[in-house]
Amino acid sequence: MSCFYRIGVALFLLSGMLFAQTTSSDQETIRALVQQVKELQEKVAALEGKQVSVVATNPETKAETPVQPPEEATNAAKGSMFREEHEIRGIQWRGFGEVNYKVLNQRQPELGAFGFVPGSAGNFYVGDFDLYLTSRITDKANVLAEVVIGEGDAQSFDVDLERVLFRYDYNDYFRVSTGRYHTGIGYYNSAFHSGMWVHTMASRPLIMEFADDGGLLPTQAVGVSITGAVPSGSLGLNYLFEYGSSDTIRPNLSGIGETDENNGNHINVGLFARPRAIPGLQVGGSFYHDRISDFQLGPDVRLGQMIVNGHVVYNAHGIEFLNEGFWIRNAYENGGPVYNMPAFYSQFSKRFGPIRPFFRYQYVNTNPNSIYHDDVLLRHGPSFGARYDFNDAIGIKTQLDHTIRKGQPDLDGLQMQLVFAF
Amino acid sequence: MKPINFKRSLLIAIALLGSAPAALAQSGIAVVVNPRNSQSSIGRGELRKLFVGEKRYWPDGAPVKLFTRSAGTAEHDAMLKLIGMSEAEYKQYWRTRVYAGEAQSEPLSLPSNGMQREALQTFSGGIALVDVVDIKPGMKILKVDGKLPGEDGYPLQQ
Repeated sequence: MSCFYRIGVALFLLSGMLFAQTTSSDQETIRALVQQVKELQEKVAALEGKQVSVVATNPETKAETPVQPPEEATNAAKGSMFREEHEIRGIQWRGFGEVNYKVLNQRQPELGAFGFVPGSAGNFYVGDFDLYLTSRITDKANVLAEVVIGEGDAQSFDVDLERVLFRYDYNDYFRVSTGRYHTGIGYYNSAFHSGMWVHTMASRPLIMEFADDGGLLPTQAVGVSITGAVPSGSLGLNYLFEYGSSDTIRPNLSGIGETDENNGNHINVGLFARPRAIPGLQVGGSFYHDRISDFQLGPDVRLGQMIVNGHVVYNAHGIEFLNEGFWIRNAYENGGPVYNMPAFYSQFSKRFGPIRPFFRYQYVNTNPNSIYHDDVLLRHGPSFGARYDFNDAIGIKTQLDHTIRKGQPDLDGLQMQLVFAF
Repeated sequence: MKPINFKRSLLIAIALLGSAPAALAQSGIAVVVNPRNSQSSIGRGELRKLFVGEKRYWPDGAPVKLFTRSAGTAEHDAMLKLIGMSEAEYKQYWRTRVYAGEAQSEPLSLPSNGMQREALQTFSGGIALVDVVDIKPGMKILKVDGKLPGEDGYPLQQ
């Protein structure tokens, strides 16, 4: 109605103007007013056309209520437009990148992650360039994939499908996904994926390093993962069940050769609590079992691999406090030695505005007689530094590491890392 | 004693009509949902779980759709207070959560209460926080810990 009112007012003004003395400036004004009237008439015609089309394009509504009130029709159209605008459909892309500068006082060449190779004199590398995509199929089904272009030797790059998952949420108590996933073998592996932007520190803890970067654990697998809440009131229990194939092949830290574990199908079960009384606290653990081969004795010589994890994590009010312990046990199925290997890390950081100082102490002690991880042995030491966030998409980290290694000189490192999300 | 704001009281009375006992709320942030939502009250802990994405479905199976106001508004500040995060942490938290595959998307940030109202009417699982002075018909208020905005002990304050 307001449009008609405005047209009326404009016409009234226009007629008044026509009777007035016609100077050149008046003529210009008249021309402008006529133009305005034309524009308003066009707008009214367009609005009327839209209202008619909204009613006409909904045959069911037309049959039930032949004359839909214009206001209801407009609301329905607005709701539909709102849904179309804000319901996320199609493929959503996100990206994470990093640029690193790393200095080590490494006298005896050893594998470093990413672009470092034993004996390399280079200090810069770009690490992982991470493309993450999600697509909503229905309210309960979606697909996610993570494609990483990772730096290898001498600035060569390879493409790795880190994760690809079809997910279906039946409800809060039963969520199933299938595809390639990061195993829930520890808190860190579930919470932090490839892009270093989401990591507080410049590197993953060694025990949580991806196997293809020299890590010790089966961090990736193809299979089925089921998670959900357990009705437990204020305790806030959640469960995790995974069944899949890890197929871990890890390069030796010496840079010479690699170890193929020839995994079977693993089972990983986990339980953790997020008590309502302490928001941000998570306490839990997991139990992983698989069968692996001793290729030195032959692929048929199998070992049972058991990995037990326990974690206590607090993440709220600017504090991040991560504590995880691991017990890795490899035992020959037909009798023979049993190898036990403990590991843990503790990481603390606190945000002060854009600055987040951090500290981590980590410990790994593998068995020198085991064919697995005999290149790692005892390693422990602190890492500390700070992260500065320029905004919510760009950050820079500086980290100093001191690693005590059994049978080798201590290793000191300085790492600077620019991270960005887009 | 605070003077009664007639407009505010009238709006709340309209919004509560037929869904919850009337209360003369003077100030505070209300939790509002789609009028078809069968819930009439929610605990503070449960509310936090909704806004950090740990609880993703309503009891009737409808997926939870989170709506927030833009950063710097009273509603947004109340939400940050509820979940115990700063704005930067909130952004990083959701980006990490989406990246971990724990959520399909970040909560939808809307620039006006009018858009929040439209959003709530459009999505049956919608939930948002609204200053009580901006409550309009078409928004159903949930009690928090058994209390309505303005009542003693109501947990969401500006």
